[in-house]
Amino acid sequence: MLKIQNLTKVYEDGTVALKDVSFEVPDGEFVAVIGLSGSGKSTLLRCINRLIEPTSGQIWWNGIELSEVSGEELRRARRQIGMIFQHFNLVNRSSVLTNVLSGRLGYVNPIASVLGRFPQEDIKRAHASLARVGIGDKAENRADELSGGQRQRVGIARALMQEPKMILADEPVASLDPALAHSIMRHLLEINQEDKITVLCSLHFLDLVQQYSTRAIALNEGRLVFDGTPKEIDDEKFIEIYGREAERIG
Amino acid sequence: MKNENPNGRSPQWWKTAVIILAIFLLYAYGLQVTKVNLEEPLEPQRQENLVSLIRSFARPDFFTYDTETRRTAVSLRMPCPEEIKGSQVSIEGRELLMVPNCASTTQDTITITGSGFQPNAEGLIAWKPIDATTTRRVAEFKVNADGQMETTFTMPDIRASEEPQTLEVVEVVDRHIVGLSDTTFEALDKIIETVLMALMASTIGTLISIPLSFIAARNLMQNVKAPITGIMSGLILLPVFGGLAFWLGRLLVGPVLSADSTFLASLQTGLETLGFVGNFIFVIIELIILLLPLMLGFVGALAANLVGSRLGERVTMQLPENTLRILNFVTTLLGTAVLFILIAFSVTWLNLLGIREFLPETFGAQLNAFLLPGLVLGLIAALFTLRVPAKHHYPVGLVIYNTTRTIFNATRSIEPLMMGFVFVVWVGLGPFAGIMALTLHSVADLGKLFSEEVENINEGPVEAITATGASQLQRIVYAVVPQVTPHYIAYIFYRWDINVRLSTIIGFVGGGGIGFVLQRNINQLLYTRASVMVIAIAIVVVVLDNISARVRSRII
Repeated sequence: MLKIQNLTKVYEDGTVALKDVSFEVPDGEFVAVIGLSGSGKSTLLRCINRLIEPTSGQIWWNGIELSEVSGEELRRARRQIGMIFQHFNLVNRSSVLTNVLSGRLGYVNPIASVLGRFPQEDIKRAHASLARVGIGDKAENRADELSGGQRQRVGIARALMQEPKMILADEPVASLDPALAHSIMRHLLEINQEDKITVLCSLHFLDLVQQYSTRAIALNEGRLVFDGTPKEIDDEKFIEIYGREAERIG
Repeated sequence: MKNENPNGRSPQWWKTAVIILAIFLLYAYGLQVTKVNLEEPLEPQRQENLVSLIRSFARPDFFTYDTETRRTAVSLRMPCPEEIKGSQVSIEGRELLMVPNCASTTQDTITITGSGFQPNAEGLIAWKPIDATTTRRVAEFKVNADGQMETTFTMPDIRASEEPQTLEVVEVVDRHIVGLSDTTFEALDKIIETVLMALMASTIGTLISIPLSFIAARNLMQNVKAPITGIMSGLILLPVFGGLAFWLGRLLVGPVLSADSTFLASLQTGLETLGFVGNFIFVIIELIILLLPLMLGFVGALAANLVGSRLGERVTMQLPENTLRILNFVTTLLGTAVLFILIAFSVTWLNLLGIREFLPETFGAQLNAFLLPGLVLGLIAALFTLRVPAKHHYPVGLVIYNTTRTIFNATRSIEPLMMGFVFVVWVGLGPFAGIMALTLHSVADLGKLFSEEVENINEGPVEAITATGASQLQRIVYAVVPQVTPHYIAYIFYRWDINVRLSTIIGFVGGGGIGFVLQRNINQLLYTRASVMVIAIAIVVVVLDNISARVRSRII
């Protein structure tokens, strides 16, 4: 269970990215986070695993106050929260296998990992994760030899290595063409349904939201303006979320 | 009204005029200060000197020659008898006429004409003074295409004698290269020394600057934050852990380094059988033994910081606010005092501003002298902590970042020549001093370049690795190192090339390498030899530059 209370983030330059955002996510949900660019979607996701420090408010997750932990505790919390990025954020010069194995860094012996050694079972698990997302044959390739869709699958495999209880996906398909977008979304849905992993996924296209998520929350200029099922987003809500200039296409 | 311009602004021409005038005056003054003098370079004597210097450099002493000569002797009287005559000589088809056949003052000119010589041969007139064992060159000549020669000269000095003296017309019949000159061999030897010096300095410099570059990178350090107690307990533990580790290191290497230990000597003789490879292994072992206490001390200091910050972190998170304030107060008091005392001891060691005059001599008494001001400062800092939020995390990383950066910049700005001088004083003349100086400069220079490379990486992977729950060290190894490695390799080659050029300069203060020989040759006016050295340096620099450019373009 993820519980966010009065979360506010003000950047050093004075930009208010999140303003008093509160919501709850029961385990196992697939939540789409929608809103215009700059509405605070990325900031919200990054505040949850503290890649960005919240200015005020609380984040509770399975009994831990994520907004308060630090050091060792923070790392232990982070390792159970997988993250997928719009630009994949792979280490281009490293092999696909190394990229996937890096998902285990929160678990393994720190000294052995710094020397590049991983337990045999983790290596097996990495191959299995790659096979699961359909690129089992790419393990030895360098990450920058892969296409965009393949790279995002490596990103998913890396997140799976964390044995996460929750996955934060920040615009996972915004850099991919629509056909690939669906395949990536299907992988996320499968993980959500089969492994019972909570997914928080920011998305641009409403048709993807309708098709994959069980619930949608919307941000506009840092405020939560909608929280409900995707079907509830009618034309009136749409204008509230995206503003008058926007035109509904999905 | 007449100066009104269309924009409605006041006319600006006089400002431009003032600026032009100021610039003009600046250059005029500059000319006077720099003593630009156009007459002196035009003096015939100066021009002749210049030409002869350039010609020497244009005739590098690369080869040794074997010359075959033919000598024709003619006798000369000094001083002239009452009756002045000419001499005629005829040997094996060569005819010589010398007019006159005597000299009374160094002003008297003598003319030698001859025929029947080998066409186009070069030659010289050699004089064997009456009481000397070697001959002296008094004139040079060139035979024309018909085998005729003519030369007019004066004697360089007059050594009077009753006996006739001998002038020889030495004609070079044949001249061919038989091999490389000693200078060339010396240049080869020294340029190899130079290249290896530069290589060692670049390699050691790189190894040292890599870890330093990470703590001099803003993007890695700005998120390193610690609570008050964390920072302060790190400081308190610093002398304890560092000192303990240093003492332990001393204890470990003590028996090996003591006067009656034969370990190093027997190791050296044992490894001698392997030649220079054995020596290399021996030097590395010796270096490790010598540096062990220092390295352990450093590790101890690092461990102190790590343990201190972990402990502080945990305590800060668990203690209630009020108890924490008391702890913050105590640790700040002690930590600041320790920091003050450490700084005070470094200042004393350096004898900065002659501070030793005002201090007692023994360590204990000095410590006593520092204790009170340290505690007073600590008290002030501790009182200050009562007024700030107790659990706040402070950007200690940025302090470390700024300190490292400042040290890099200060070290970089010291001329390598100066460093060379300092190390020559410490370790004596020779390439070792050069290596040390170049290494120090390389560390500062590469450290700055490397850290800028770290700051320019793509932050995405760092973010992703952070999100997996990785520690700072794991983040560096998995997200930063793969991104910067190719740039680092390219910089090593770049630095090698720079170090070759610098080592020629360092040679001037006795730091070994080719610069040392170059300077000696210039001082002894052996310009044809110096020329060989200059050419050798140029070739190596061009080749290395090429290699480094190629490596960079391939890797990046």
